[in-house]
Amino acid sequence: MLTMSEPATIPDPNAPASVLEGDLVRRARRGDLQAYDELIKRYQERIYATVYHMTANHEDANDLAQEAFIKAFQALRSFKGGSSFYTWVYRIAVNKTINFLKQRKNKAQMSLDDLDFNAEHDPDLVALISEKTPRREVGLAELQEKLNAAMQKLSEPHRMVVVLHDVQGLSHEEIAKIMECNIGTVRSRLFYARQQLQGYLSDYLK
Amino acid sequence: MNQDTENFDQLRRLLALKRHEQPPPGYFNGFSRQVIVRIQAGERGDGSSVLERLLWEAPWLQRIWGAFEAKPILAGVFGVAVCGLLITGVIYSDKTDATSVALVPGTEAESAPMTLADVSAADHPFLAKPVMLEPSSTNPIATAQTGESLLGDIGKLRAQPASFAFPGGN
Repeated sequence: MLTMSEPATIPDPNAPASVLEGDLVRRARRGDLQAYDELIKRYQERIYATVYHMTANHEDANDLAQEAFIKAFQALRSFKGGSSFYTWVYRIAVNKTINFLKQRKNKAQMSLDDLDFNAEHDPDLVALISEKTPRREVGLAELQEKLNAAMQKLSEPHRMVVVLHDVQGLSHEEIAKIMECNIGTVRSRLFYARQQLQGYLSDYLK
Repeated sequence: MNQDTENFDQLRRLLALKRHEQPPPGYFNGFSRQVIVRIQAGERGDGSSVLERLLWEAPWLQRIWGAFEAKPILAGVFGVAVCGLLITGVIYSDKTDATSVALVPGTEAESAPMTLADVSAADHPFLAKPVMLEPSSTNPIATAQTGESLLGDIGKLRAQPASFAFPGGN
C-alpha cells in the first residue's frame, strides 16, 4: 500500500496496471460498485492527502475526498478516457477543493493530522529543527503548525501547485493536466509560491 | 536556470514534513465503504431530488438540460412548442368528440348536427330526471318524492299582469 510519505506519480496509461484500471472503469460505468470500490482503494490516499494539504483540516478533507469520488462515479458516463481515470478524479477533487476554499475563506480552522513515527527520524527534518530546539518532538509539532499556517496564506492556485509538486511529487506536466493550465503557468505559480513561503518561514530556514 | 533547486532546497525539505502527516490509524480501511454507501443511498433517492435522479438515470436528458441552461432561448422555443402541441391536442380532441357523437348509429344525430337544444333532460343534472327509487318501508320520504328537479318548474312559470286598483280610488 502506498503511504503518503512517498511521492505520488500519475500511473502510465500504457502500463499493465492501467489496462486493469480501464477494465475497472468500464465495469464501474455499468454500475459495478465492486469495481468502483477497487478504484477508490487505489487512489483514496493520494486524493485525501491532496485535499488535506489544501484545507489543513481532517474533517473537511474527509468530506471533500468522499464527495469527489461520489461525483466521479455519477459523472463516469461522461468520462471519455482522454486522460487517465486518476488524472480525471484528481481534477474533480482539485476543483471541488478550490470551490470549497473560496466559500470558506475567513473561517479557516486547522485540524491537523498527527505526524507519523518516521518524521522524527527524517534526517532533513532533524537537521532543520536541531538548531532551533533540543526537544525534537515539540519542535516538529511547532514546525508543522507554522508550515501549515504559512501555506494557508497562499492563494488556492499557488497552494495547490506547491502541494502537488513539492508534497505529492507530481511533475509540472501532470499538474498542468490536472489544473487545466499550461506548464509555464505551473512553473511561475510554483516559483512565486515558494518565494512567499520562504518569506513566511524565514525563521525556520537559516 | 533551474527554479526547482534555486535557493529552495531548505524549503523543499521543510515541505517534506507534510508527507509525514497521517490521518488516524485505520482511517482508510472504511473510506471506500463509506463512499459506496453514500453512492447507494443516492441511487435509492435519499436526499436527492426527483430532478437529480431523473438526470442521473437519463444522460440524454442531462445533455438537453445542459443545453437549456447554456442557451435559455432554446428553453423558450421548447416551451412554446410544447404549448402549441397542447393547444392543438385540445382542439383536435374536441373535434374528434363531436364527430364520434354524430356517428353513433340509431340516433337522430345521424342526420343533423348536435346543438345545445338537443341535449335531453336526462343528460343534465339540473333538469327533470326520473329517479328510480324502489318503495321501501325504511325510506318512505324518498319514495314519496317525485323525480322533478329544482329547476323543473321554471319553464311553467308565466308572468301575470298585476292589478293596481285601489279601493275607493279612481
